[in-house]
This record gives sequence, structure tokens and C-alpha cells, in this order.
Amino acid sequence: MNESFKRGAAEGVRLMLPLSVGLIPWALVTGVAMRSIGLSTVEAMGMNLLVFAGTAQLGTLPLIASGAPLWLIVLTALVLNLRFVIFSAALAPYFERQSWARRVASSYLLVDMVFVICVEHLKKSDDPQWRWGFFVVPALWTWLVWQIGALAGVLGADVIPQDWSLEFMATIALMVMLVPMARQRAMLVAALVGGLGAVLLRGMPLRLGVVAGIALGIAAGFAAEHWTHTRSRT
Amino acid sequence: MIDGVGLWVTLALIAAATVVPRGSFILLGSRARLPAVVQRALRYAPAAALAALIAPDLLVDAGQVDPVNPKLAAGLVVIAAALRSRNPWLPFIAGMGVLLVLRKGLGG
Repeated sequence: MNESFKRGAAEGVRLMLPLSVGLIPWALVTGVAMRSIGLSTVEAMGMNLLVFAGTAQLGTLPLIASGAPLWLIVLTALVLNLRFVIFSAALAPYFERQSWARRVASSYLLVDMVFVICVEHLKKSDDPQWRWGFFVVPALWTWLVWQIGALAGVLGADVIPQDWSLEFMATIALMVMLVPMARQRAMLVAALVGGLGAVLLRGMPLRLGVVAGIALGIAAGFAAEHWTHTRSRT
Repeated sequence: MIDGVGLWVTLALIAAATVVPRGSFILLGSRARLPAVVQRALRYAPAAALAALIAPDLLVDAGQVDPVNPKLAAGLVVIAAALRSRNPWLPFIAGMGVLLVLRKGLGG
């Protein structure tokens, strides 16, 4: 562990600490939500360690609870994770000089908050050691906060009475993620069309209405973006 | 509810559906580039997907669209709290509070 690795790590942790506090309610809620659909403590923490993705976890829980077909669960997770393809493409140039093992570890650890600080700051240095420190130490810290917070939620879920409708916490968490995204006009259009599409098409077999709603939402958002661009040019 | 071995298979596949998108370009390196049009369209996927999961829970009750129900009221309070406040706990406290008061208070 050399000097530039440590300097990168210190810089990354300094930027990540305040963000990671905001992760605690998510982790707690995800822990409670996993227990509320009937996962055992081991199953819930197994999910938390294997998946390590709040949105995909919260989004697939209702489908697991209702016994939806496996392909639909996996497809929903994939769609919720599509943003990572973009994140991965944006960060890929910084990982080109890292070993295969480090790149595999990065693929597991790359969460939204880590992306946010990396995309802003990784370009500050050309040194692969500095970059690796800047990425991996805050990423491991975020991982730790997430696991401990979720464990607290999983263990705390039993203390809370059953008739408190706690499963609604997952929906609240999804809404809190959506609200800042939807501040942008085209994003709001994508969300409104996606949501209403899923409601209107709910009669489709195998819960396909969710997938159809998402596809309509993406198309609507893309169309809205084009429309605003064209209008602002004329 | 999916349980037993089926559940662990499901969880492993959700994990794969997470690590593959995250790793995609980092693992492929300079060999691959995503077309700009696809990148731009994919930006809307998370918002559309989140809304498609939220809206049925807020609007549909026992298979029917119900525009006046405790969950929708709680949902609107959550949106207001998330827009107005930087406190990460407030949407949860306010949303659950409204839902519980309406459910318990109205005997539903």
C-alpha cells in the first residue's frame, strides 16, 4: 500500500462520509422490507450480501412475495440496474490499467454514490494507485454502512407490530429515489407514463404490464427530450 | 412467496442481474463503446421502472383503480416531504404516519 493509494483513499473518504450518512435510512428500510415479506434473517442478509443494490432489492421484493415468475423478477432487476451500464461505460477508461481481479471487485462494489464521487474526481490524477485508493476505500466503507444498516433493520423488524403496514416502507423508499430524478422534465414524463402504463396494463398476464409500462416510459422520456430540444432550437 | 432453494436461485440471479450491468464496460475495457442514442434512451430506464413499481401500489386496490385510498394519500405526503425537506427520514415518518392514521382511524 503506497503513499498515493493512501492519499487517494483519504480524499475519497472525505467526500464519501457525508453521503454515506444518507444511506443509513435506506439500509434500515431495506432490512425491514426484506423481513416484512417473510424472508428469514439468514435469507435477508444473504440477499443483502449477494445483491448489494437497494433499488434492485426493494424493487424485486414485491415480486418475490407474490410468487411472480423468475424471468420477470430477473428482468425487473436488470431494468432497475440499467443505469449501471451507463455508469460502467463512463468509468471504464479509469479502470483500464487495473488488474482483472480489481475490475471484478469494482463490478460488485459500484453503487450510485460511489459513481457520483468517482465520475467527478477520478480524473484528478493519472496515477492508477491513487485512483484505486480513491475508488475502493470509500466503496468498501459504503458497503460496510449498507450491511450494518440492513442488519439493524432485519433484526429490528421483529420488534415492530405486524399490522403497521411496514411493507409500505419499500414503496416510500422507491418514491424517495424517484423524486429527485423526476425534477427534470423528460424524466418526469418517463415516470408518469411508466407509472400510468403499469396501472392501465395491470390486466396483462404474468405481470407483463410492469415491463410494458417501463418500455412505454422509456420511449416517452426519450420522445419528450427530443421534443424539448426541437422546440428550444426554433 | 418464493422460498427454499428456489429463493436462493432467485437471489443469485438478481445478484447476476446487478453485477453484469455494473461490470459491463469496466470488464470489457476499451473493446466496447455504447452507442450514444442507446445511452441517452437508457437514462430514462430507472425513472420509468421505479414509477411502474410504485404507481400500482398507490392506485390499485384489489384489482381496481381506487383514486381515494390511504396509500395514495400517504404517497402524496411522501412526495411533498421528499421535495421540501433534505431530512432523509422525514418521507418515511410522514408517509407511514399518514397511512397508519388513515387506516386505523377509518377502521380500514
